[in-house]
Amino acid sequence: MNIVVSIKQIPNLTDELEINAEGTGLDHDALQYVLNEFDEHAIEEAVLAKEATGGTVTVIGVDTTGELDGALHTALAKGADSAVKITGDFPRGTDSHTQAKLIADAIRGMSPDIVLTGVQAADDRDGQIGPMIAAHLGVPYVGVVTGVQVKEGKAVVHKEYAGGVMAEFEVALPMVVGVQAAHQPPRYAPVSKIRQIAKTAKIDEVTGGAGPRAGSTVRRMFKPESAGHAEMWEGSPEEVADKIATLLAEKGLVKRG
Amino acid sequence: MLALTERTIFVLMVAVFGSITLWGFFNMYRIVRRGRAASKFQNLIPQAVKAFLEVGLQTPVYKSRLILTTFHAFIFFGFSYYLLVNLNDLLEGFLPGYSTAEVSTGIIGPLNFLGDVLSIGVLLGVVVFLVRRFIAKDKRLEFNKDVLLYPAVEKGGVKRDSLVVGGFILLHVGSRFTGQALRLAERSIINPMQPFASALSFALRALPPSAFTSAIHASWWIAIGLIVVFLPYFIISKHVHIIAAPVNLGLAKQGERGHLDPAVPPGAPPDLAPGAATLADLAWPRLMDAYACIMCNRCQDVCPAHNSLRPLSPSALEINKRYWLNENFTGFAGGAASPPLTEFAISPEAVWACTTCFACVRVCPVGNEPMADIVDIRRRMVNDGAELDSGIQSTLEKIGKTGNSFGQAARNRAKWAATLDFKIKDARKEAMEFLWFVGDYASFDARVQEITRTVARVLKSAGVDFGILYDGERNSGNDVRRVGEEGLFEQLAEQNIAAMSKCNFQRVITTDPHTLNALKNEYPDYGGKWDTIHYTRLLAQLIDEGQIKLAKKLDYRVTFHDPCYLGRYNKGFNPPRALIQATGCEFVEMPRNKENSYCCGAGGGQIWMGTTPPGERPAENRIREALAALATLNGHGGNGAKPDKPLLFVVACPKDVVMYTDAVKTTGNEGKIEVKDVIQLIAEAMGEELQTSNSQLQNAVPA
Repeated sequence: MNIVVSIKQIPNLTDELEINAEGTGLDHDALQYVLNEFDEHAIEEAVLAKEATGGTVTVIGVDTTGELDGALHTALAKGADSAVKITGDFPRGTDSHTQAKLIADAIRGMSPDIVLTGVQAADDRDGQIGPMIAAHLGVPYVGVVTGVQVKEGKAVVHKEYAGGVMAEFEVALPMVVGVQAAHQPPRYAPVSKIRQIAKTAKIDEVTGGAGPRAGSTVRRMFKPESAGHAEMWEGSPEEVADKIATLLAEKGLVKRG
Repeated sequence: MLALTERTIFVLMVAVFGSITLWGFFNMYRIVRRGRAASKFQNLIPQAVKAFLEVGLQTPVYKSRLILTTFHAFIFFGFSYYLLVNLNDLLEGFLPGYSTAEVSTGIIGPLNFLGDVLSIGVLLGVVVFLVRRFIAKDKRLEFNKDVLLYPAVEKGGVKRDSLVVGGFILLHVGSRFTGQALRLAERSIINPMQPFASALSFALRALPPSAFTSAIHASWWIAIGLIVVFLPYFIISKHVHIIAAPVNLGLAKQGERGHLDPAVPPGAPPDLAPGAATLADLAWPRLMDAYACIMCNRCQDVCPAHNSLRPLSPSALEINKRYWLNENFTGFAGGAASPPLTEFAISPEAVWACTTCFACVRVCPVGNEPMADIVDIRRRMVNDGAELDSGIQSTLEKIGKTGNSFGQAARNRAKWAATLDFKIKDARKEAMEFLWFVGDYASFDARVQEITRTVARVLKSAGVDFGILYDGERNSGNDVRRVGEEGLFEQLAEQNIAAMSKCNFQRVITTDPHTLNALKNEYPDYGGKWDTIHYTRLLAQLIDEGQIKLAKKLDYRVTFHDPCYLGRYNKGFNPPRALIQATGCEFVEMPRNKENSYCCGAGGGQIWMGTTPPGERPAENRIREALAALATLNGHGGNGAKPDKPLLFVVACPKDVVMYTDAVKTTGNEGKIEVKDVIQLIAEAMGEELQTSNSQLQNAVPA
C-alpha cells in the first residue's frame, strides 16, 4: 500500500494577523507558519491506515516558507516513512491551484494507491487542493472524511454530512481523500525523536515547475469593521428592566401595559 | 543452660535458616542490581555518618505523625539494644551456669535495667501499632478507591505481614522478658535493676518448682529460636526495612531537590529508551526503595492527588513493586522482565495525577523517591507515543511551536510591559545587572499581568538595573520536563541558554518559582550557569539595605502559601515572610507551612490538563485551611465573628495567583478572603515611594 499525504503550512492563527501594505492579503513575512491542522489529521489517518494494513507513508509538500523541513520531520517522527519537499520560487501564501498542480506532478510518478490531505486550510478556505490533485491525476475524490479503511484495491471512507448524518463510500483505488478528522486524535511526536530524525533523516527534494496560478485574485483583504456601536445600560436591575421594556415597546415588539 | 541436643538443633537451625537468608539477601542484591545506573554517589563516608545519625536520632521518622513516631522510637531503641541483649541470651544458652537475670551491680546492672525498660517500650509500641491497625483501623493505612493494587496487596498482604511481624516481636520480646522473670521467680528474688521483670516474677512464683526449667527453656526458644526461624521470612517482609532503610538513607538523593536525574543514565548506549516502562528500567535506588518501604502511607497523607481522591498513592506504587518482586523473586533476580509498571505498580491515571510537589519524597522516613518513578514512567510514555491527556498534548505542541504554553506569538511575550510609563531594558541590546526571566504565566495570563507590571514598577522605583529578553525568552521547560517531555525540555533549555548567553548581565531573577527551579538547578547541566534567585529574595535584600522604603503600614491579616518550587524545592521560605512582616501586616502561619506546605495542584503539568476531576481540589482545600487559620488567631474571634481587618491569602508564584483566585470563587469565599501576590503588598506599602505608574491602565480603568 503506497500512501501519500499532501501537506501545507499556514499562518499560526493564535498570532495577530496583519494585512499587507497593499491591502490585498496577509503580511506573510510578519507571520509564523505552522502545519495546517487538517493536514495533521491526514497524517494521523495515513499512519493509522499503514498500521492497520501495512505499506508506506510518504509526506509531501510545497516549501513556501523555507521551514517545511520541521513539519516533515514531525511527520516522520509520527510514523511516516519518507518525506519530499517541492522547492522553487514559491512564496508564502502560494495559491492552492499552484500547490495542487505541483503536488500532482510530483506524486504521479510515485503511483500512489491513496492520497490523503486536509479537507481545507484556514488560509484560503477554498478546500480545493484535494479535488484538484484528484482532477490532475484523474482519480476519484471524497472530502470531509472522518475515517479511512483500505482493503484489496478499495477504500471504505466515512464522510460526515451536516446534522450528524454519516455516509460510507466504497471507492476503487487510487483515490484522493480530503480528511476532516482522523478516527483517533493525532498522536504526539516527542521532540527528542524529531530532533533525532532531523539529524539523520533525508528529505527528498523535487524542483517544481511553473504553476497555473489561481483563477481568482483577492481585491481587498481587511479586518471586520464594526457596523454599529453597542450601548451599555447601567443602573439598578429595575431601571435596566424598564429601559428594556421601553425599547421593546418602541420597536413595536411588545405593548406596554 | 541448653542441653547438648538443644545446642545441636540450634546450630543446625542457624545453618539451614541462615543459608536460606543469605541466599535471599544475595538475590535481593541481584534484584537491585537489575536497575539502571544511578547518578554518581559522592561523599560516601559523610553520607553514611549522616544516615547513621538520622537513624539513631529517628529524625526522618519525626517529620510527621509525632505520637506514632514516638512509639516507633520505643521499638527502634528496644530493637537496637536487643542486639546486645540477644548476644547475652546466646551466652546464657551456650555457657553453662551463665545467667545475668539476677545481677544488679557492676556494668551488668544498668545494662539489665535498660533491657528491662526497653522490653516494655517495645511491647508497648507494638501493641499500639497492632491496635491502631487492627482495632482502631486507622484510615490512613487504606488506599483510595481506584488505586491500582497488585493482587497480593489487594488481598491484604500488608495486613498479614504486619500481623506476622507484630506477632513475631511480641513473641520474641515478650518471651525474652518472661524468661528473665522466670529466672527471678525460680529463685524467689527480685532484681531492682529489672523492675518490670521483677514485678512479673511475683506472679510466676506460683508455678510449681518443677516447671521452671522447662519454662525457661521454652522462653529461650521462643525468644532466640524464633529469630532464626523468622530470618528467611524477613526477606519478603516489610520488616527488612531495618536494614534496607538505613542503607537507603545513606544512598538518598544528593544535590538539589529540584534537579531531576536525566531520562537515560549518562554514558548509556544511544538506543537505550528514555524513562521507565518496566522495573528494570528504573534506576537501582528505585528498586531499593521497594525494599526500604515500611508501608506507613505517610507519603500518601501529604499527596495532593490522594487528598483530592484521585487514584494516586505513592506508597501503593512502592508496595506494588515490592509484592511483585516477592512473587517473582528469583525470576527477576535472574533476568526475567517485569510487566509494564502501569499494569501492576501504578495506573496511567495515577501517573498523570502527580503534581511533582515533592511532598512524598520529603516526608518519607526511609528516603524513598516515588516521584522519580512517576517522572520516568511519564518519560517513557511520551517517548512511546502513548495517548496523552488532550490538554497536556496540545500545550506541549503549543510550546514546541511558539515557545510558550499559551500558544501566543513570541512577539506578544512582553506586551504586558507596553502600558508601563517607562521602557524596560532589552537584555539583547543593553547591559544590565539583573536579567529578569519573566516566565509564561507572568507574561501571558491576563489575571497575572498586572502583578508582573507591579514587579517591574517596584524594581524600577528601587533603582534596580534590570532588563528582560522580550521575545527571546521561552518557556523555561521546568514543567515540560516533569510531564516527561525530556526532548522538548532540552530544546527549550538550549534555546534559552543561547539567548541568555548573548546578553550582558550579572544575575538572574525570576517571578515564577518553576522557572527559578529550572534555571537554578537544571540549566547548569546544559551550560547555563548563572546565579539565579527569586524576586522575593532580591526584594527582601533591597528592603534590608534601605533601597526600598515602605512608607505605609498595612492593616491586613495575612497568611502565606509556600509555592512548592520556591519553598520545598529551593528553600525560599524566609524572604516572602520577611517581606510580609516588613509591610506591618498581621501574619498567621497555616498549619501546613514551609517544608510541609500543601501543593496548589498546578505543578507537574496539572495546570495544562484538559479535564478537572471531581472532588475537592488541592487549592480549595488550601483556601479552607487558610480561612480556618486566619479565624483562630489569638484574641480574635473565630465562631463566625466578623474579622476586624481584611484577610489576605498571599502567594509568590504566578500560577498560585491563578489557582487560588479560582479556588476562592469555587469555595464560595469571595469577599471573605483575597488572593494577592507578595509584590502587591510591597507596592501598596511603598505608597508614594512607588514612583512609576501604569499610565494607560489607570486611564482605562476607573478607580
